[in-house]
Amino acid sequence: MPYHYNTPEDKQAMLAAIGAESVDVLFDAIPSELKLDRPLDLPPALSEMELDQHMRELASHNTPAGEAVCFLGAGSYDHFIPAVVDTIGSRSEFYTSYTPYQAEASQGNLQVMFEYQSLISELTGLDVSNASLYDGASAAAEAVLMAISATGRHGKVIVPESLHPEYRATIATYLENLETDLVTIPTPGGVVDPETLAEAIDEATAAVVLQQPNFFGCVEDPDAVSKIAKGAGALLIAAFDPLSLGVLKRPGDYGANIAVAEGHTLGSPMAYGGPYLGIMACEKSLVRRMPGRIAGQTVDRRGNTCYVLTMQTREQHIRREKATSNVCTNQGLFALRATVYLAQLGPQGLRETASLCLQKSRYAAEQLCLLERFSLAFDEPTFKEFVIRDTENRVEELLNFGLDKGYLAGLPLGRWYPELADCFLVAVTEKRTKAEIDGLVTTLANASTLTSIPATA
Amino acid sequence: MRNNRDTQLLCELSKPGRRAARLPACDVPEREIADLLPAESIAPKPPALPEVTEPQIVRHFVNLSTMNMSVDTHFYPLGSCTMKYNPKRNERAAAMPGFADLHPCQPEQSIQGMLALLYEMQEYFKEISGLDACSLQPAAGAHGELTALLVAAAYFRDNGEKRTKVLVPDNAHGTNPASAAMAGYKSITVKTTSDGFVDMADLAAKLDDEVAVMMITNPSTLGLFEPHMREIADQVHARGGLIYLDGANMNAILGITRPGDWGADMQHYNPHKTFSGPHGGGGPGAGPICVTDKLAPYLPTPIVRKGGSGGSSVENRKGTGKLNPSLNAQHSTLNSHYSLDFDMPKTIGRVRSFFGNVGVLVRAYAYIRTHGPDGLRAVSENAVLNANYLLSRVKHILPVPQGNRCMHEFVASANTLKKEKGITAMDIAKRLLDYGFHAPTVYFPLTVPEAMMCEPTESESKESLDAFAEVLFRITEEDADLLHDAPHTTSVSRPDEVRAARQPVLTWAALVEAN
Repeated sequence: MPYHYNTPEDKQAMLAAIGAESVDVLFDAIPSELKLDRPLDLPPALSEMELDQHMRELASHNTPAGEAVCFLGAGSYDHFIPAVVDTIGSRSEFYTSYTPYQAEASQGNLQVMFEYQSLISELTGLDVSNASLYDGASAAAEAVLMAISATGRHGKVIVPESLHPEYRATIATYLENLETDLVTIPTPGGVVDPETLAEAIDEATAAVVLQQPNFFGCVEDPDAVSKIAKGAGALLIAAFDPLSLGVLKRPGDYGANIAVAEGHTLGSPMAYGGPYLGIMACEKSLVRRMPGRIAGQTVDRRGNTCYVLTMQTREQHIRREKATSNVCTNQGLFALRATVYLAQLGPQGLRETASLCLQKSRYAAEQLCLLERFSLAFDEPTFKEFVIRDTENRVEELLNFGLDKGYLAGLPLGRWYPELADCFLVAVTEKRTKAEIDGLVTTLANASTLTSIPATA
Repeated sequence: MRNNRDTQLLCELSKPGRRAARLPACDVPEREIADLLPAESIAPKPPALPEVTEPQIVRHFVNLSTMNMSVDTHFYPLGSCTMKYNPKRNERAAAMPGFADLHPCQPEQSIQGMLALLYEMQEYFKEISGLDACSLQPAAGAHGELTALLVAAAYFRDNGEKRTKVLVPDNAHGTNPASAAMAGYKSITVKTTSDGFVDMADLAAKLDDEVAVMMITNPSTLGLFEPHMREIADQVHARGGLIYLDGANMNAILGITRPGDWGADMQHYNPHKTFSGPHGGGGPGAGPICVTDKLAPYLPTPIVRKGGSGGSSVENRKGTGKLNPSLNAQHSTLNSHYSLDFDMPKTIGRVRSFFGNVGVLVRAYAYIRTHGPDGLRAVSENAVLNANYLLSRVKHILPVPQGNRCMHEFVASANTLKKEKGITAMDIAKRLLDYGFHAPTVYFPLTVPEAMMCEPTESESKESLDAFAEVLFRITEEDADLLHDAPHTTSVSRPDEVRAARQPVLTWAALVEAN
């Protein structure tokens, strides 16, 4: 076996020391009627070479971004990952280490967590950050639980339809067995209508969750939403796009009490949806209700500056059922990657990346809308994504045609929004070139001119 | 050799005007940002990130990395964490662009290899647990616990039953009661006996028709197989409750015994423990769950199905099946079509975005394929052999209250040493660092005073176990004062945790304020 050391002689010596006749005897504590009396029904072992060939074979049945030009978004994006992020993320002193309970053996990880928290705090304009959660959607759900506990309001939480549908679904699941209702307000215009929100909110509302830019790519008016939420005594939870903060105001700037985000875009691959990086930052007053690991600076017995996991009395391993959350892991390796990525970008790099997303996506939207078949679904400014309406209402055929030509052209919205069944969401990152955008437009134009598109198999 | 100059904080290394990244020039007609976005939404300036060069970044982080212990550098006998070797072939596989660069919303016909792998993982996990259905969605073990408890809640709601309690033994991981509370249940503690087993009388006293689920870790956190497992399951089932198996300790029983065969109705796996995913300094992990047939309809969606569509709402995801030949050259070599089933009317919904922690699952897949059925059984045999061997050496140095034999881990106690010489589990843990060993898990489980939980895993040698035991012995002979001040050789020693918690300094900004 590839990763075991024990030779037959070792085994004999070890069994003699134990006082056992065989390895089987070591399992005598398991009642024999509970033992499996056959080998597991699994495929036979592969050598490393065979495994490598097999994995390449499986991978060859996929069409990754790079083989197809990726215009898919909705929370996962084809952003550029600098080589330095992979280099540092591949240091096995980082990736094969454990949660830094033993601070003296983990100062590297702990300082990275402290630096990550500092960067996220600066990025969001909020006082404190934890050292990461699972992903953006579960971070949003944790933020909702935090808000309910902080306000003591168990009546309802309000989310607009312009919040990512999978974030809404996750929050709904987390609330399903609790007393709090999840109230969804419609956003027919693509952004929150302040009047609709004002009608829905009341004194039992714990929080309003606002995504900026929202699921449709539209830029919301967070000041208006913030004012209504605060006016009713509810908290504002902002779900933000980290890279948008190169041009857009920060959650703290418009009064968010808690900010959450999907952070894989800070230097981690799309990887078919995970693992990702759940970002969470909040106001100082909420820190003791925040879930997840937090690193703090302190001094050691010699007076040296150092870092430790802190405020652990919030956590499950101390408080058990009274903990703020059951979260036990963070996404340490991806928090490291985000830290390296943000350092690599710096303020100017962040600004330029955000600006490229903005400029290129606007260009793509305009070019697509020059085709008679397409129009923008919403008349609102957008950041790096936008919703295209196909007046011929043949989104599936269109996108399949695009894939045949090498474009992951967009995401059909009908599954989540029946009224948008004729629409698809297009994302344009800094990685997309003018030639790729023009190629997409030409391809979809060709699809438009075809009288008949190959039928569904 | 570490260089301390470059491990200053990034904000201290920063100097205005430095930069590492250069972005390409904008190749589309550029417009003023003010013309594209509402004035009130625009940030006047970007966030004040550090301004550093790429060589600075590399030196900073590489030097920080040397301030960690890790599996690749040290023996890490951290109980319940299964800090086994993280195979490099798995890393290479997960980094293949055909896996790493897939968008989670790609059409099914462009991800058939990915779906085939995930389908197989569902099947492998079902087989290893002896359960009927699998969801790969949860992102971590505790997330799997929460998901399964919500599945249980949906099941009872659907059956018109109102059950409000979850039973948790007192030696369980803290995540168990915390997950129960998050899922809206009242967590009730069941005592364990001095042998470390569930106290059957206390269970009988607390088991009633309000109990939805009993969560049990088996082998337990003491590294013991629960002798009354079948009886416990039968009694809980007789009252209409369900058994949840905390799968943190699966490394002890692969191919030897299966939770489904002892009456578990649901369980999670920790692929980052049992199936060699690297721990990453605290994550990412994954927390797939398996359940019995009756609970399957409530699992989160989507689930991967083999051979065609799982239902009507999958229609959106189905393509023409006609790909550009250059994009699916070998498509025909997969012998089936795989699809995502979103159409499960009784599903609890979802517990996160997208499919799951796929990168971790790819590594677990590579690990299982590397081992095969005999190899996985050998993993557990060697893990249990190593643990028992270490136990045979350690019990002469520190008492192991719960016996002579164990499964994959055992819990020693420094309680006698504390009483006689004032040496605590923490002292020993810290002194081990001086000798180049990571510390065991200390002060857990809570039922053992001065607990030191040791799990050597299968990927350690007899020599390293011998060396660990010898060092442990030497430490217990050392002067108590020397140990109270340990570690002596690390860059820091005994951080002031009370100060960290009472006067929290959590960011650079707070640092500036504090000074």
